[in-house]
Amino acid sequence: MPSPAPRPFSLLAEVTHRCPLHCPYCSNPTELARPDTELQTADWTRVLREAADLGVLHAGFSGGEPLQRLDLSELIAAARAAGLFTNLITSALGLNLQRAQDLKKAGLDSVQISFQSDLSPAADAIAGISAHARKLEAAQLVRELGFPLTINVVLHRGNIDRVERIIGLAEGLGAERLELANTQYYGWAFGNRAALLPSRDQVEQAAQSALAAKKRLHGKMEILFVIPDYFSERPKPCMNGWGNRFLTVNPAGAVLPCPTAGEIKGMRFENIRERSLAWIWNESESFNRFRGTDWMPEPCRSCEFREIDFGGCRCQAALLVGDASLTDPVCKFSPNRPIIDRVLAAQGSSGEGLVPRQNKFSPLPR
Amino acid sequence: MLMTSEAIPPGARPKISGRARLQTDKVTGKPVLLYPEGVLLLNPTGHAIVRLCSGEATLQEIVDNLASRYNMPRVEIASEVAEYLERLRARNLLELAPQASK
Repeated sequence: MPSPAPRPFSLLAEVTHRCPLHCPYCSNPTELARPDTELQTADWTRVLREAADLGVLHAGFSGGEPLQRLDLSELIAAARAAGLFTNLITSALGLNLQRAQDLKKAGLDSVQISFQSDLSPAADAIAGISAHARKLEAAQLVRELGFPLTINVVLHRGNIDRVERIIGLAEGLGAERLELANTQYYGWAFGNRAALLPSRDQVEQAAQSALAAKKRLHGKMEILFVIPDYFSERPKPCMNGWGNRFLTVNPAGAVLPCPTAGEIKGMRFENIRERSLAWIWNESESFNRFRGTDWMPEPCRSCEFREIDFGGCRCQAALLVGDASLTDPVCKFSPNRPIIDRVLAAQGSSGEGLVPRQNKFSPLPR
Repeated sequence: MLMTSEAIPPGARPKISGRARLQTDKVTGKPVLLYPEGVLLLNPTGHAIVRLCSGEATLQEIVDNLASRYNMPRVEIASEVAEYLERLRARNLLELAPQASK
Protein backbone atom coordinates (compact mmCIF):
# COMPACT_ATOMS: atom_id res chain seq x y z
CA MET A 1 0.00 0.00 0.00
CA PRO A 2 1.29 3.45 -0.82
CA SER A 3 1.48 5.97 2.01
CA PRO A 4 -1.60 8.14 2.48
CA ALA A 5 -2.09 10.90 -0.07
CA PRO A 6 -0.69 14.30 0.87
CA ARG A 7 -2.97 17.26 1.34
CA PRO A 8 -3.87 19.35 -1.69
CA PHE A 9 -3.50 23.11 -1.26
CA SER A 10 -4.63 24.51 -4.54
CA LEU A 11 -7.42 23.92 -7.03
CA LEU A 12 -7.43 25.25 -10.55
CA ALA A 13 -11.02 25.48 -11.71
CA GLU A 14 -11.02 25.64 -15.50
CA VAL A 15 -14.61 26.67 -15.84
CA THR A 16 -14.70 26.92 -19.64
CA HIS A 17 -12.45 26.61 -22.67
CA ARG A 18 -14.31 29.38 -24.46
CA CYS A 19 -12.00 32.34 -25.04
CA PRO A 20 -12.06 35.43 -27.23
CA LEU A 21 -8.26 35.50 -27.59
CA HIS A 22 -6.12 33.59 -30.06
CA CYS A 23 -2.73 33.51 -28.34
CA PRO A 24 -0.34 31.23 -30.24
CA TYR A 25 1.27 30.18 -26.92
CA CYS A 26 -1.98 28.76 -25.52
CA SER A 27 -1.12 25.64 -23.55
CA ASN A 28 -4.67 24.35 -23.48
CA PRO A 29 -5.19 21.15 -25.43
CA THR A 30 -5.56 21.33 -29.19
CA GLU A 31 -8.94 19.67 -28.69
CA LEU A 32 -11.02 21.91 -26.43
CA ALA A 33 -13.99 20.98 -24.25
CA ARG A 34 -17.26 21.72 -26.03
CA PRO A 35 -19.51 24.24 -24.28
CA ASP A 36 -22.30 21.68 -23.98
CA THR A 37 -20.04 19.40 -21.92
CA GLU A 38 -19.25 22.09 -19.33
CA LEU A 39 -20.05 21.43 -15.68
CA GLN A 40 -23.14 23.15 -14.33
CA THR A 41 -23.23 25.64 -11.47
CA ALA A 42 -24.30 22.96 -8.98
CA ASP A 43 -21.43 20.66 -10.04
CA TRP A 44 -18.89 23.40 -9.44
CA THR A 45 -20.43 24.33 -6.12
CA ARG A 46 -19.99 20.76 -4.98
CA VAL A 47 -16.43 20.55 -6.32
CA LEU A 48 -15.46 23.72 -4.47
CA ARG A 49 -16.93 22.50 -1.20
CA GLU A 50 -15.31 19.09 -1.53
CA ALA A 51 -11.98 20.70 -2.36
CA ALA A 52 -12.11 22.84 0.78
CA ASP A 53 -12.98 19.76 2.86
CA LEU A 54 -9.92 18.00 1.44
CA GLY A 55 -7.68 20.84 2.62
CA VAL A 56 -7.52 23.06 -0.44
CA LEU A 57 -7.00 26.73 0.49
CA HIS A 58 -6.75 28.39 -2.92
CA ALA A 59 -9.14 28.29 -5.84
CA GLY A 60 -8.02 29.81 -9.12
CA PHE A 61 -10.76 30.40 -11.67
CA SER A 62 -9.35 30.02 -15.11
CA GLY A 63 -10.14 28.75 -18.58
CA GLY A 64 -10.36 29.69 -21.38
CA GLU A 65 -11.80 32.95 -20.26
CA PRO A 66 -13.70 32.40 -17.00
CA LEU A 67 -15.78 35.56 -17.55
CA GLN A 68 -17.50 33.67 -20.34
CA ARG A 69 -19.37 31.87 -17.56
CA LEU A 70 -22.32 34.02 -16.61
CA ASP A 71 -22.55 32.19 -13.27
CA LEU A 72 -18.99 33.13 -12.32
CA SER A 73 -20.05 35.32 -9.38
CA GLU A 74 -22.09 32.44 -8.02
CA LEU A 75 -19.09 30.15 -8.26
CA ILE A 76 -16.87 32.70 -6.50
CA ALA A 77 -19.46 33.07 -3.74
CA ALA A 78 -19.58 29.30 -3.33
CA ALA A 79 -15.80 29.16 -3.07
CA ARG A 80 -15.75 31.91 -0.45
CA ALA A 81 -18.51 30.21 1.51
CA ALA A 82 -16.31 27.12 1.58
CA GLY A 83 -13.44 29.20 3.01
CA LEU A 84 -11.31 29.30 -0.13
CA PHE A 85 -9.09 32.18 -1.18
CA THR A 86 -10.28 33.05 -4.67
CA ASN A 87 -8.29 34.29 -7.63
CA LEU A 88 -9.70 35.21 -11.02
CA ILE A 89 -7.26 34.39 -13.81
CA THR A 90 -8.52 36.39 -16.74
CA SER A 91 -7.76 38.08 -20.04
CA ALA A 92 -10.01 40.85 -18.63
CA LEU A 93 -12.15 40.82 -21.76
CA GLY A 94 -15.66 41.14 -20.46
CA LEU A 95 -14.60 42.66 -17.15
CA ASN A 96 -16.78 45.75 -17.10
CA LEU A 97 -17.80 47.76 -14.04
CA GLN A 98 -20.98 45.78 -13.42
CA ARG A 99 -19.26 42.42 -13.47
CA ALA A 100 -16.32 43.62 -11.43
CA GLN A 101 -18.70 44.92 -8.77
CA ASP A 102 -20.65 41.66 -8.81
CA LEU A 103 -17.43 39.71 -8.30
CA LYS A 104 -16.42 42.02 -5.47
CA LYS A 105 -19.76 41.47 -3.80
CA ALA A 106 -19.39 37.72 -4.26
CA GLY A 107 -16.14 37.89 -2.27
CA LEU A 108 -13.49 37.57 -4.96
CA ASP A 109 -10.09 37.99 -3.26
CA SER A 110 -7.70 38.76 -6.10
CA VAL A 111 -7.42 39.24 -9.83
CA GLN A 112 -4.77 38.18 -12.30
CA ILE A 113 -4.85 39.81 -15.72
CA SER A 114 -2.84 38.60 -18.67
CA PHE A 115 -1.06 41.02 -20.97
CA GLN A 116 0.58 40.04 -24.23
CA SER A 117 3.12 42.87 -24.26
CA ASP A 118 3.53 46.45 -23.07
CA LEU A 119 2.08 48.22 -26.11
CA SER A 120 -1.11 47.72 -28.05
CA PRO A 121 -0.09 46.96 -31.64
CA ALA A 122 2.36 44.25 -30.65
CA ALA A 123 0.15 42.93 -27.85
CA ASP A 124 -2.95 42.83 -30.03
CA ALA A 125 -1.04 41.05 -32.78
CA ILE A 126 -0.27 38.26 -30.31
CA ALA A 127 -3.80 38.15 -28.86
CA GLY A 128 -5.27 38.10 -32.37
CA ILE A 129 -7.88 40.61 -31.26
CA SER A 130 -7.98 44.22 -30.15
CA ALA A 131 -7.54 43.64 -26.44
CA HIS A 132 -4.71 45.70 -24.96
CA ALA A 133 -6.61 48.94 -24.40
CA ARG A 134 -9.50 47.06 -22.81
CA LYS A 135 -7.09 45.27 -20.50
CA LEU A 136 -5.61 48.59 -19.38
CA GLU A 137 -9.09 49.86 -18.54
CA ALA A 138 -9.98 46.67 -16.70
CA ALA A 139 -6.74 46.71 -14.71
CA GLN A 140 -7.53 50.23 -13.55
CA LEU A 141 -11.03 49.16 -12.59
CA VAL A 142 -9.63 46.25 -10.61
CA ARG A 143 -7.37 48.60 -8.65
CA GLU A 144 -10.16 51.10 -8.07
CA LEU A 145 -12.30 48.37 -6.55
CA GLY A 146 -9.43 47.47 -4.23
CA PHE A 147 -8.56 44.02 -5.57
CA PRO A 148 -4.95 42.92 -5.32
CA LEU A 149 -3.70 42.75 -8.91
CA THR A 150 -1.31 40.29 -10.49
CA ILE A 151 -0.15 40.82 -14.05
CA ASN A 152 0.84 37.74 -15.99
CA VAL A 153 2.78 37.95 -19.22
CA VAL A 154 3.69 34.84 -21.16
CA LEU A 155 7.13 35.39 -22.67
CA HIS A 156 8.41 34.16 -26.01
CA ARG A 157 10.81 35.22 -28.71
CA GLY A 158 8.57 38.03 -29.88
CA ASN A 159 8.17 39.88 -26.56
CA ILE A 160 10.94 38.72 -24.23
CA ASP A 161 13.20 41.63 -25.19
CA ARG A 162 10.59 43.99 -23.79
CA VAL A 163 10.76 42.67 -20.23
CA GLU A 164 11.90 45.99 -18.76
CA ARG A 165 9.05 47.84 -20.38
CA ILE A 166 6.62 45.14 -19.31
CA ILE A 167 7.82 45.57 -15.73
CA GLY A 168 7.22 49.29 -16.13
CA LEU A 169 3.69 48.63 -17.32
CA ALA A 170 2.92 46.43 -14.31
CA GLU A 171 4.35 49.05 -11.96
CA GLY A 172 2.32 51.77 -13.61
CA LEU A 173 -0.84 49.73 -13.19
CA GLY A 174 -0.18 49.32 -9.47
CA ALA A 175 0.20 45.55 -9.67
CA GLU A 176 1.41 43.86 -6.52
CA ARG A 177 2.73 40.86 -8.35
CA LEU A 178 4.11 40.26 -11.82
CA GLU A 179 4.52 36.85 -13.35
CA LEU A 180 6.94 36.71 -16.24
CA ALA A 181 6.22 33.21 -17.39
CA ASN A 182 8.09 31.81 -20.33
CA THR A 183 5.96 29.76 -22.68
CA GLN A 184 5.40 26.17 -21.69
CA TYR A 185 5.42 23.97 -24.77
CA TYR A 186 2.25 21.97 -24.37
CA GLY A 187 -1.08 21.87 -26.16
CA TRP A 188 -1.45 24.47 -28.88
CA ALA A 189 1.90 26.09 -28.03
CA PHE A 190 3.77 22.91 -28.87
CA GLY A 191 2.95 23.32 -32.56
CA ASN A 192 4.36 26.86 -32.45
CA ARG A 193 7.49 25.94 -30.56
CA ALA A 194 10.00 26.75 -33.29
CA ALA A 195 8.59 30.24 -33.67
CA LEU A 196 8.12 30.91 -29.95
CA LEU A 197 11.38 29.65 -28.47
CA PRO A 198 13.70 32.53 -27.57
CA SER A 199 17.47 32.41 -27.89
CA ARG A 200 19.68 31.75 -24.90
CA ASP A 201 20.95 35.33 -25.03
CA GLN A 202 17.42 36.65 -24.91
CA VAL A 203 16.60 34.48 -21.90
CA GLU A 204 19.72 35.54 -20.02
CA GLN A 205 19.12 39.20 -20.72
CA ALA A 206 15.52 38.98 -19.56
CA ALA A 207 16.47 37.04 -16.44
CA GLN A 208 18.96 39.79 -15.52
CA SER A 209 16.40 42.52 -16.05
CA ALA A 210 13.90 40.66 -13.92
CA LEU A 211 16.43 40.12 -11.14
CA ALA A 212 17.41 43.80 -11.08
CA ALA A 213 13.77 44.86 -10.95
CA LYS A 214 13.06 42.34 -8.23
CA LYS A 215 15.67 44.00 -6.02
CA ARG A 216 14.54 47.48 -6.88
CA LEU A 217 10.88 46.70 -6.18
CA HIS A 218 11.39 44.54 -3.10
CA GLY A 219 8.39 44.92 -0.82
CA LYS A 220 6.41 46.81 -3.48
CA MET A 221 5.87 44.43 -6.36
CA GLU A 222 6.71 40.76 -6.25
CA ILE A 223 8.27 39.52 -9.48
CA LEU A 224 8.32 35.92 -10.53
CA PHE A 225 10.45 35.00 -13.52
CA VAL A 226 9.94 31.47 -14.78
CA ILE A 227 12.77 30.40 -17.05
CA PRO A 228 11.98 28.25 -20.06
CA ASP A 229 12.90 24.80 -18.83
CA TYR A 230 14.58 23.82 -22.11
CA PHE A 231 17.43 26.17 -21.14
CA SER A 232 17.82 24.60 -17.76
CA GLU A 233 19.93 21.57 -16.87
CA ARG A 234 17.50 20.34 -14.33
CA PRO A 235 13.78 19.85 -14.84
CA LYS A 236 11.15 22.02 -13.21
CA PRO A 237 9.62 20.48 -10.08
CA CYS A 238 6.39 20.20 -11.98
CA MET A 239 3.34 20.92 -9.79
CA ASN A 240 5.65 20.17 -6.85
CA GLY A 241 5.07 16.54 -7.61
CA TRP A 242 2.19 14.66 -9.19
CA GLY A 243 -0.85 14.57 -6.92
CA ASN A 244 1.08 16.33 -4.19
CA ARG A 245 -0.24 19.90 -3.81
CA PHE A 246 -2.35 20.77 -6.85
CA LEU A 247 -5.34 19.61 -8.73
CA THR A 248 -7.15 20.87 -11.78
CA VAL A 249 -10.75 20.30 -12.71
CA ASN A 250 -11.28 20.90 -16.41
CA PRO A 251 -14.45 22.35 -17.99
CA ALA A 252 -15.94 18.91 -18.58
CA GLY A 253 -15.27 17.71 -15.04
CA ALA A 254 -12.14 15.62 -15.51
CA VAL A 255 -9.87 15.85 -12.47
CA LEU A 256 -6.23 16.25 -13.42
CA PRO A 257 -2.96 16.48 -11.48
CA CYS A 258 -1.98 19.40 -13.75
CA PRO A 259 -3.71 21.44 -16.44
CA THR A 260 -2.10 19.56 -19.33
CA ALA A 261 -2.16 15.98 -18.03
CA GLY A 262 -5.30 15.23 -20.00
CA GLU A 263 -3.11 15.12 -23.10
CA ILE A 264 -1.09 12.13 -21.90
CA LYS A 265 -1.98 9.30 -24.20
CA GLY A 266 -3.13 6.09 -22.60
CA MET A 267 -4.09 7.67 -19.28
CA ARG A 268 -7.65 7.83 -18.07
CA PHE A 269 -8.77 10.52 -15.65
CA GLU A 270 -11.79 10.31 -13.40
CA ASN A 271 -14.68 12.71 -13.70
CA ILE A 272 -16.28 14.66 -10.90
CA ARG A 273 -19.68 13.65 -12.27
CA GLU A 274 -18.99 10.05 -11.33
CA ARG A 275 -16.81 10.19 -8.22
CA SER A 276 -16.17 12.39 -5.23
CA LEU A 277 -13.16 14.65 -5.33
CA ALA A 278 -11.78 12.97 -2.20
CA TRP A 279 -11.93 9.54 -3.82
CA ILE A 280 -10.26 10.80 -6.97
CA TRP A 281 -7.50 12.56 -5.04
CA ASN A 282 -6.87 9.74 -2.58
CA GLU A 283 -7.73 6.53 -4.37
CA SER A 284 -7.76 6.93 -8.13
CA GLU A 285 -5.22 5.15 -10.24
CA SER A 286 -4.47 8.33 -12.18
CA PHE A 287 -3.54 10.37 -9.11
CA ASN A 288 -1.49 7.54 -7.60
CA ARG A 289 0.28 6.65 -10.83
CA PHE A 290 3.19 9.10 -10.39
CA ARG A 291 2.75 10.08 -6.77
CA GLY A 292 5.80 10.03 -4.50
CA THR A 293 8.99 8.37 -5.73
CA ASP A 294 8.15 4.66 -6.03
CA TRP A 295 7.16 4.93 -9.69
CA MET A 296 10.49 6.37 -10.71
CA PRO A 297 12.81 4.70 -13.17
CA GLU A 298 16.54 5.36 -13.29
CA PRO A 299 18.20 7.82 -13.40
CA CYS A 300 15.56 9.37 -11.09
CA ARG A 301 15.24 6.48 -8.67
CA SER A 302 18.72 6.83 -7.22
CA CYS A 303 19.06 10.55 -7.88
CA GLU A 304 19.79 12.91 -5.00
CA PHE A 305 17.33 15.42 -6.48
CA ARG A 306 14.39 13.04 -6.69
CA GLU A 307 12.50 14.74 -3.88
CA ILE A 308 13.41 18.18 -5.17
CA ASP A 309 12.28 18.05 -8.79
CA PHE A 310 10.18 14.85 -8.69
CA GLY A 311 11.52 13.64 -12.02
CA GLY A 312 10.28 16.79 -13.73
CA CYS A 313 7.20 16.93 -15.86
CA ARG A 314 5.24 13.81 -16.80
CA CYS A 315 3.50 15.60 -19.66
CA GLN A 316 6.84 16.61 -21.15
CA ALA A 317 8.17 13.06 -20.94
CA ALA A 318 5.01 11.83 -22.65
CA LEU A 319 5.07 14.53 -25.31
CA LEU A 320 8.76 14.43 -26.20
CA VAL A 321 9.82 10.87 -25.40
CA GLY A 322 6.50 9.11 -25.77
CA ASP A 323 6.42 7.67 -22.26
CA ALA A 324 5.10 9.60 -19.26
CA SER A 325 6.95 7.35 -16.81
CA LEU A 326 10.42 8.36 -17.98
CA THR A 327 12.66 11.13 -16.68
CA ASP A 328 11.78 14.56 -18.05
CA PRO A 329 14.12 14.92 -21.08
CA VAL A 330 15.09 18.42 -19.91
CA CYS A 331 17.16 16.81 -17.15
CA LYS A 332 20.87 16.58 -17.95
CA PHE A 333 20.88 13.07 -16.48
CA SER A 334 18.18 11.89 -18.88
CA PRO A 335 19.43 9.75 -21.76
CA ASN A 336 16.90 11.69 -23.85
CA ARG A 337 18.38 15.14 -23.20
CA PRO A 338 19.66 15.23 -26.83
CA ILE A 339 16.02 15.66 -27.91
CA ILE A 340 16.03 19.07 -26.19
CA ASP A 341 19.51 19.97 -27.38
CA ARG A 342 18.50 19.30 -30.97
CA VAL A 343 15.53 21.64 -30.60
CA LEU A 344 17.78 24.36 -29.18
CA ALA A 345 20.38 23.87 -31.90
CA ALA A 346 17.80 24.06 -34.69
CA GLN A 347 16.46 27.27 -33.23
CA GLY A 348 17.49 30.63 -34.58
CA SER A 349 15.20 31.20 -37.51
CA SER A 350 12.80 34.13 -37.49
CA GLY A 351 9.69 34.33 -35.35
CA GLU A 352 7.42 33.94 -38.34
CA GLY A 353 5.03 31.09 -38.85
CA LEU A 354 3.07 31.47 -35.62
CA VAL A 355 -0.32 29.85 -35.89
CA PRO A 356 -2.93 31.74 -33.84
CA ARG A 357 -4.96 29.67 -31.41
CA GLN A 358 -8.12 28.51 -33.06
CA ASN A 359 -11.22 28.21 -30.95
CA LYS A 360 -14.22 27.03 -32.85
CA PHE A 361 -16.55 27.67 -29.92
CA SER A 362 -17.36 31.26 -30.58
CA PRO A 363 -17.43 33.15 -27.31
CA LEU A 364 -20.43 35.03 -26.07
CA PRO A 365 -20.59 38.67 -27.07
CA ARG A 366 -18.90 41.14 -24.80
CA MET B 1 16.61 35.59 1.57
CA LEU B 2 16.61 38.85 -0.29
CA MET B 3 17.89 41.45 2.16
CA THR B 4 18.11 44.53 0.06
CA SER B 5 15.74 46.74 1.99
CA GLU B 6 16.55 48.71 5.08
CA ALA B 7 15.52 47.53 8.53
CA ILE B 8 12.05 48.52 9.62
CA PRO B 9 12.34 51.54 11.95
CA PRO B 10 11.10 50.97 15.53
CA GLY B 11 8.54 53.76 15.17
CA ALA B 12 6.91 52.29 12.06
CA ARG B 13 3.44 50.80 12.39
CA PRO B 14 3.41 47.52 10.48
CA LYS B 15 0.11 46.40 9.04
CA ILE B 16 -0.75 43.16 7.29
CA SER B 17 -1.59 43.96 3.70
CA GLY B 18 -5.19 44.00 2.56
CA ARG B 19 -4.24 41.36 -0.02
CA ALA B 20 -3.88 38.79 2.75
CA ARG B 21 -6.53 37.09 4.84
CA LEU B 22 -6.07 35.46 8.22
CA GLN B 23 -8.29 32.47 8.83
CA THR B 24 -8.47 29.16 10.61
CA ASP B 25 -7.46 26.10 8.65
CA LYS B 26 -10.31 23.60 8.38
CA VAL B 27 -7.99 20.61 8.46
CA THR B 28 -5.61 21.48 11.31
CA GLY B 29 -7.61 24.10 13.19
CA LYS B 30 -4.49 26.28 13.13
CA PRO B 31 -4.19 29.84 11.84
CA VAL B 32 -3.17 30.42 8.21
CA LEU B 33 -2.43 33.62 6.33
CA LEU B 34 -3.74 33.36 2.79
CA TYR B 35 -2.64 35.69 -0.01
CA PRO B 36 -2.53 35.59 -3.81
CA GLU B 37 -0.62 32.48 -4.88
CA GLY B 38 0.53 31.64 -1.39
CA VAL B 39 -0.10 30.67 2.19
CA LEU B 40 1.78 30.93 5.46
CA LEU B 41 0.98 28.28 8.03
CA LEU B 42 1.41 30.25 11.22
CA ASN B 43 3.05 28.90 14.35
CA PRO B 44 2.00 30.49 17.66
CA THR B 45 4.74 33.11 17.47
CA GLY B 46 3.89 33.97 13.88
CA HIS B 47 0.23 34.19 14.74
CA ALA B 48 0.94 36.51 17.67
CA ILE B 49 3.07 38.76 15.46
CA VAL B 50 0.55 38.85 12.63
CA ARG B 51 -2.28 39.72 14.97
CA LEU B 52 -0.35 42.66 16.37
CA CYS B 53 0.39 44.03 12.88
CA SER B 54 -2.81 46.03 12.66
CA GLY B 55 -1.26 49.36 11.71
CA GLU B 56 -1.89 50.73 15.18
CA ALA B 57 1.03 49.50 17.26
CA THR B 58 4.58 50.56 16.47
CA LEU B 59 7.26 47.94 15.94
CA GLN B 60 8.66 48.92 19.32
CA GLU B 61 5.29 48.40 21.00
CA ILE B 62 4.84 45.04 19.29
CA VAL B 63 8.19 43.87 20.62
CA ASP B 64 7.40 45.16 24.12
CA ASN B 65 4.04 43.43 24.06
CA LEU B 66 5.50 40.06 23.04
CA ALA B 67 8.47 40.32 25.40
CA SER B 68 6.20 40.77 28.36
CA ARG B 69 3.64 38.21 27.17
CA TYR B 70 6.23 35.47 26.68
CA ASN B 71 8.51 36.72 29.44
CA MET B 72 11.50 36.64 27.14
CA PRO B 73 14.49 38.96 26.70
CA ARG B 74 13.52 41.92 24.56
CA VAL B 75 16.52 41.56 22.27
CA GLU B 76 15.60 37.98 21.43
CA ILE B 77 12.02 38.88 20.63
CA ALA B 78 13.15 41.87 18.60
CA SER B 79 15.28 39.77 16.30
CA GLU B 80 12.57 37.17 15.90
CA VAL B 81 9.99 39.82 15.04
CA ALA B 82 12.37 41.53 12.62
CA GLU B 83 13.03 38.27 10.85
CA TYR B 84 9.36 37.46 10.63
CA LEU B 85 8.40 40.87 9.33
CA GLU B 86 11.11 40.61 6.70
CA ARG B 87 9.56 37.35 5.53
CA LEU B 88 6.21 39.09 5.23
CA ARG B 89 7.77 42.04 3.47
CA ALA B 90 9.52 39.77 0.97
CA ARG B 91 6.07 38.48 0.02
CA ASN B 92 4.74 42.01 -0.20
CA LEU B 93 2.37 41.34 2.69
CA LEU B 94 3.35 44.22 4.89
CA GLU B 95 2.32 47.84 4.77
CA LEU B 96 4.41 50.25 6.78
CA ALA B 97 2.41 53.17 8.03
CA PRO B 98 4.54 56.27 8.63
CA GLN B 99 6.29 56.66 11.95
CA ALA B 100 4.40 58.13 14.79
CA SER B 101 4.61 61.88 14.97
CA LYS B 102 5.86 62.99 18.30
